Amino acid sequence: MEYPGPSRVATLGSLMGVASLALPWLTVRSSRLAEGESISLLGTANTLTAVLIAALWVVVLALSLRPATRMNAYALACLGATLLPLTLLTAGMGAERLLADAPAVARASLGGAVWLSLLAGYFVLHTSLSALKDRPCARRVLMLIAPGLILLLGLLGAFESLALSAEFTGNEQRLARETGRHLALALGSVFIGALIAVPLGIAATRHRRTERPIFLIASTIETVPSLALFGLIIAPLAALSFAYPALRELGIRGVGAAPALIALILYSLLPIVHNTYAGLKQVSPAALDAGRGMGMSNRQLSWRVEYPLAIPLIGEGIRTATIQSVGNTAVAALIGAGGLGHFIFQGLGQAAPDLILLGALSVIALALVLDTVARSAIKMLTPRGLRREGD
Amino acid sequence: MILMEELTKRYGESLAVDTLSVEVAAGEVCVLIGPSGCGKTTTLRMINRLVEPSEGRIFINGEDTRKRPPELLRRSIGYAIQSVGLFPHMTVEQNISVVPSILGWDRSRISNRVHELLLLVGLDPAGYTHKYPTQLSGGEAQRVGVARALAADPPILLMDEPFGAVDPLTRERLQQQFLSIQKELRKTVVLVTHDLDEAVRLADRIAVMRAGKLVQFDTPERLLASPTDAFVRSFVGADRALKRISRVPVTSMMQPVKTLVRSGDTLSGDVSQVPRFAWVTDADGRLLGWLDTAQSRSPDSVFEIDAAQVEYLTVPDSASARDALSRMLGQGVRSIPVIDESRRLLGEVTLRSIEEVTAE
Repeated sequence: MEYPGPSRVATLGSLMGVASLALPWLTVRSSRLAEGESISLLGTANTLTAVLIAALWVVVLALSLRPATRMNAYALACLGATLLPLTLLTAGMGAERLLADAPAVARASLGGAVWLSLLAGYFVLHTSLSALKDRPCARRVLMLIAPGLILLLGLLGAFESLALSAEFTGNEQRLARETGRHLALALGSVFIGALIAVPLGIAATRHRRTERPIFLIASTIETVPSLALFGLIIAPLAALSFAYPALRELGIRGVGAAPALIALILYSLLPIVHNTYAGLKQVSPAALDAGRGMGMSNRQLSWRVEYPLAIPLIGEGIRTATIQSVGNTAVAALIGAGGLGHFIFQGLGQAAPDLILLGALSVIALALVLDTVARSAIKMLTPRGLRREGD
Repeated sequence: MILMEELTKRYGESLAVDTLSVEVAAGEVCVLIGPSGCGKTTTLRMINRLVEPSEGRIFINGEDTRKRPPELLRRSIGYAIQSVGLFPHMTVEQNISVVPSILGWDRSRISNRVHELLLLVGLDPAGYTHKYPTQLSGGEAQRVGVARALAADPPILLMDEPFGAVDPLTRERLQQQFLSIQKELRKTVVLVTHDLDEAVRLADRIAVMRAGKLVQFDTPERLLASPTDAFVRSFVGADRALKRISRVPVTSMMQPVKTLVRSGDTLSGDVSQVPRFAWVTDADGRLLGWLDTAQSRSPDSVFEIDAAQVEYLTVPDSASARDALSRMLGQGVRSIPVIDESRRLLGEVTLRSIEEVTAE
């Protein structure tokens, strides 16, 4: 049976994987600020491992060029799921070996090869899994093997010598605290934003004259770069808190969480207003006519027919706003609001690339988790009759 | 029951409906028909105030429809539209339950009503109550729409091209269903259609409209026999005779026949009284076939009509003169027997009798 396996992406992935063999795998520096030395694959791993990795990529390349069959998809998925943890393990072990005799301040960072092969492995894994859509159980297992193994290896200490881990262990407590702040800002702003934006979206559908101004304002806000918007809010807010000491008691000052929250709320308006509007507009006019004709009042029509039918799109709008918010909150650290951006900017200030990486990866991980949670929530809230097949 | 008095609807400069006055009696099916843009749908929607008249009034049972808030008015009027408009996020049961639950019926009363209505429209409750609209075919959705309109047992039913969106075969079945439901429930129905055959089939009286004005309001028979002006004549079409006889039941014009009876091996009956091609029945009067008496008088020579041939060599008693004519022409015969459900011979229709009916 022919599977619509997009093996061209797998081929691309395998080529990237092969290319990564030639790139530097680690960068070793005697201290955080010193010039780094690039280490190739052969410097990182022993010959056997190096040959194994190379061989695996070649096999992946070969498989990706063959016609797409179910066996092929399984094989590619397994190989991809193997190569991801294997790459990281190799780098981790290599770092441990290279730093064995080095002073404590020495750092071994992941090189371009590792990033490239992680991306390559992800391509291979993901596309081969998409060809296995009709086997949800196997698919889920294969999808979780790689992150599961990586997590396990991490807990067993395989990555301890990597600079990233060093940064992590040095900042564990702060990381937890800033994650909490980040979540509070991102989620809090979307929540308040939704409370404002959903009624605005409803108003835009009901009253023609409000449609233009609402969208105009929301779109304009969206075009202002985040840092600039933060800046625009700081001055008036500072003036306000200066004039009204009560605000200062509450913790509302010119800088810090307050201006960040306000800006984040403003940013979350457009996706939610837009999707609320679209969600209500796409409700079948026949259903509305029938509803009105059978004697539903406007309120009954809205609550029993329109709003339930608009939930999927409104949910998508809130999900989009949430992911956007997680990203924007990273910038808020610059004005003293805290959040995971703290590590990014500190890393920038100290020229410590792995600290930057720590912050960036945390933000990405947070976004992915919230995205998954949001998707499940939307699915659960969508009325039964509207769920598509396979949802 | 429904009195429309000088109804007018103006949109800017143009008149969608122009001083329309129509009275629909209780239990009557009134069909509004006319070319596109004649105002028939606007008129229908003025009855339940989805459109407010510019001038004129509507009385339902003597009460001006403007007296009550529109929502309350509409809850006592069933409304079924062409695109059905089922709520996609609700099951069939929930869809039908909408108006009863707004009216505050209790749960068991509603679920009994849903069960009863699904049976009425020809859908098996066990199979359909939990389905969602996306899982229904066009014909099934239309039936659910009608069930939903009838849910709170309103005395009046408004229908806007309810059978328009399905294929001809399903449409005919739905029309048949409608007629049998109407026979049982005797609702006051106002139905909009652009299909004259549908109007002739379903209506007690037809209101022909043109450019917002009422042109003729008559029974289908009178409309087809005497169209008032050139427009109606051309609207009704050149084959009005055929349309007319589609309203004449065979039972009203069939003639009694003398038959031969076959019991076992014997053939009894007065051969001198029967025509050359005589119908042969069994002892209970059930039609077995026919015999060419000129050729043979023997029971073995009876040409038997088997189950497969019954449909086109006979007409059921529920058929119209048009069905009989169609079959006679199809078979190249001049007469056709009328039988009941148990195949008992009731009478005969001939080409001559059809000519007589058409000539009236």
